[in-house]
Amino acid sequence: MSEKVSDSAQVTTKSSRLSAMIKKTAAGKVAPENTVLVWPNLVYLELICMMVAVSVILFLSLVAPAPLEELASADTTPNPTKAPWYFLGLQELLVYFDPWLAGMVLPTLMLVGLILIPYLDPNPRGKGYYTFSERKFSMLVFSFGLGLWYALIFVGVFFRGLDWSWYWPWDDWHVHQPAGAAKLIDLEIILQSSLGLSESPLITLGRYAVTTANLLTWVILGAFYGIGFTVPFLFFRDFYRKLGFVRYNLVMFFFISMMGVPMKIFVRLLADVKYVLVTPWFKI
Amino acid sequence: MAPADNKGNTQDEDVSRRRFFTLMSLGVGWGGLLTALGGVGVGAARYMLPSVLYEPPTIFKIGTPEEYGIGVDTKLKKERQIWVVRNERGLYVMIAICRHLGCTPNFFQDQSLFRCPCHGSIYDTRGNVVGGPAPRTLWRAAVSLDPVDGQIVVSFNTRQDPDPVGTPEGLMVEELGREIEPYFLKI
Amino acid sequence: MLSLLQKIREAVNKTQVFKSIFRHGYPDTDGNRALVMFSNIILHLHPVRVRRGALKIKFTWCLGGLTFLFFILLAITGVILMFYYVPDTRRAYNDIRDLETVIYFGSLFRAVHRWSAHAMVFSVWMHMTRVFMTGSYKPPREFNWVVGVILLVTTLVLSWTGYLLPWDQLALWAVTVGSKMAEATPFIGAAGPFGPELGFGPENDMAFALLGGTIVGQSALLRFYVLHCLALPLITALFIAVHFWRIRKDGFSGPL
Repeated sequence: MSEKVSDSAQVTTKSSRLSAMIKKTAAGKVAPENTVLVWPNLVYLELICMMVAVSVILFLSLVAPAPLEELASADTTPNPTKAPWYFLGLQELLVYFDPWLAGMVLPTLMLVGLILIPYLDPNPRGKGYYTFSERKFSMLVFSFGLGLWYALIFVGVFFRGLDWSWYWPWDDWHVHQPAGAAKLIDLEIILQSSLGLSESPLITLGRYAVTTANLLTWVILGAFYGIGFTVPFLFFRDFYRKLGFVRYNLVMFFFISMMGVPMKIFVRLLADVKYVLVTPWFKI
Repeated sequence: MAPADNKGNTQDEDVSRRRFFTLMSLGVGWGGLLTALGGVGVGAARYMLPSVLYEPPTIFKIGTPEEYGIGVDTKLKKERQIWVVRNERGLYVMIAICRHLGCTPNFFQDQSLFRCPCHGSIYDTRGNVVGGPAPRTLWRAAVSLDPVDGQIVVSFNTRQDPDPVGTPEGLMVEELGREIEPYFLKI
Repeated sequence: MLSLLQKIREAVNKTQVFKSIFRHGYPDTDGNRALVMFSNIILHLHPVRVRRGALKIKFTWCLGGLTFLFFILLAITGVILMFYYVPDTRRAYNDIRDLETVIYFGSLFRAVHRWSAHAMVFSVWMHMTRVFMTGSYKPPREFNWVVGVILLVTTLVLSWTGYLLPWDQLALWAVTVGSKMAEATPFIGAAGPFGPELGFGPENDMAFALLGGTIVGQSALLRFYVLHCLALPLITALFIAVHFWRIRKDGFSGPL
């Protein structure tokens, strides 16, 4: 008898908890009449979504099975060798930057930059809805980075052919491009010959012979970051004040570095510059 | 007053002694744990570096120098991943691995150039970079003559990799300075 | 006819077996519909009620859920493919050839695995874009965004490690290029800035640890197999669990 009583007592507490749960809403503040039960409304929506997705995957699999190339052999690289599309942005980046930069440092910066986004964006508006006018700067910067990444992927997929040369859609993709088109030159050599600077080093640090032209490339790179850091600080005081010292410097570092990537790409494509800065240990 | 002061002092001493022992045991405990975890980390990292390799030999023979004529010989590219190059002064062996990201470049007889299919690096027959993204010149492997059968012995373990100089023509290394033992066979 | 079905259902609902599995009646009352949600291990990822706006597909585009679906599809087809695959450089390519040519539905499972992988990379990236565009990473959800970025990385590394397994030309060269990048890591790579100065050579650097050798060979294939089939899926599943749990704890940002 007593067992039964405690049992029914449990049931009542359980059911009262349950009815509280039914009335309680996910957001807490929203009135219950603006909410719906997850079962069946959302659960069935998800089921339909799932079925559509699986059908699409099955259809694609039947239409286009997975490819299998020839057996791996270290002596012949297929020409051209293209990575899967999601790595083509990286592969394209490797054309413009040395492997340590394009393969390691830039991807790391991208990921660290992505991770830091919530901590660097102090704007409380635009939470939980699509808006551009309330958060223009963050939207523009993110879209620019995303667009850059897509552009690199696009180039890799549609404009790279034999020997990873640039091919327009109307070119003959079975004929090798002449090698002369790929001639590249370092910025310091351009400076040296155009400004008539001396080739003899100012100082020699071990393997590193610092010439006037080399020093000038350091100055140019430093000025790129220096101007980038100081201009918003001086002329967009509001921007600086909203971010604060630490956030401002992090945001500007990532922003300027990101802008540097397309700049180097354009310098490469338009002026055939191989490196803007050369040291015996690393080249940029 | 004085006894009270004394009492206070002993209490302070007790507290500071207890504090000292607490801190010390905390230090020993946490320090020990972190040291152990660090040791495991170092051990795991070392474990991932194998001590024995089962890979193709890196020292091998490729026949006598007379078998190679002037110019680039590509017949050993498939089997050994090398090009044998002979000029008027002698013979050297270049490793057929692109210095950019390790693909195998192809030799174009008509252009006298090596071109890499992965990212478009271009090398001349001396291994200098004349185009594309490669940051250094092609490796030259150590070569020597076997005193017994007169065959060329190639070793991948010793590779010539000088710092190239940027020029309007590309990344260059002065050729005569490269043609030294053990990377060059004078003939 | 309908009433007969209803009678059968009611009879089934009363059986001891049904009651032992489902601890509630048929979900046609508000009470049972709530009980469904928190007595089922998979469904209880959801709350019991959501705002009306949650049913608007234009807010989330179902992208997070689709990513999870593709992960599950990949896990299932991956396990199926493992039954016929041996990570041995002499066998791997032929095993995949067998899957493609002689094993019933082998080609289909492999194709589903591949398309799901492409779809997962795509949807994870789109999901991330959507979360940015709606500002859903803003406080208090900062940490879940970080977990999401980690999941993006594990997704990409999973794809990359999977590329080596068929042991065809694409496999070899994609991984050769990738491992050369590891070799170019600053400070701990043999070809990276200051790597040689710090004593790293081809036989102790980052790429050597990744490949288990100096070339992409047998040990690299085995390492990538273990990473692809065991280590990385476990890590990914763990972070997915954290990701979902945090969604419930932090609440939804939008109309959801």
